[in-house]
Amino acid sequence: MDPRDRDKAKKKQFRKKFLFRKKKFCKFCEEKIPYIDYKDVRLLQGFTPERGKIFPRRISGTCAKHQRELMQAIKRARNIALLPFTAD
Amino acid sequence: MVKYESIFITEPGATDDEVSALIKGFEDTVTTGSGKVLKVERWGKRRLAYRVGRHEDGNYTLFYLECPPAAARELERRYRMNDRIIKYLTVRMDRNIPEDQPARAGDSPEVRGPEPVEAQ
Repeated sequence: MDPRDRDKAKKKQFRKKFLFRKKKFCKFCEEKIPYIDYKDVRLLQGFTPERGKIFPRRISGTCAKHQRELMQAIKRARNIALLPFTAD
Repeated sequence: MVKYESIFITEPGATDDEVSALIKGFEDTVTTGSGKVLKVERWGKRRLAYRVGRHEDGNYTLFYLECPPAAARELERRYRMNDRIIKYLTVRMDRNIPEDQPARAGDSPEVRGPEPVEAQ
């Protein structure tokens, strides 16, 4: 067996073992939320984990368009003291 | 005419009557600026996410307006001059935000009702 083939097989196995994850999806596309309201604290809190940072889209799976709107909403909510800038 | 939503926070010590008076005054400001107030929502006292000055809580009021930009600027100027107001935010409504949808911040568990009066 060609060592390169063996390598490939190994990689495939690795992928099967560790890289199987649930497909990420954009919550806002899925639920057809037309407008991300900065006043909806409960929704926004889901995207600001303990420290109060904005959850990155590579992890949350939010699409680019909605991530931008989400960012705007979170920043507005922070301005009016509905969400913390930082929390520790 | 542009649609805006405008929130102001008064210090927690302000009584209901004082807030009502403020709302009345600001409504007049908007109407004299040839705009109109579409809706007023009073959220009451709620915990601030961070300390503002020396305040931990604030009394939130939300306006939905339709007015010329000059009137909105005048409104903000009045917010700034009033020392009962600790924070404010005015945002243009780009899309037609469904107005029958109540502000969902109001039902968050952080909202505090009126303080219970202790029986003597």
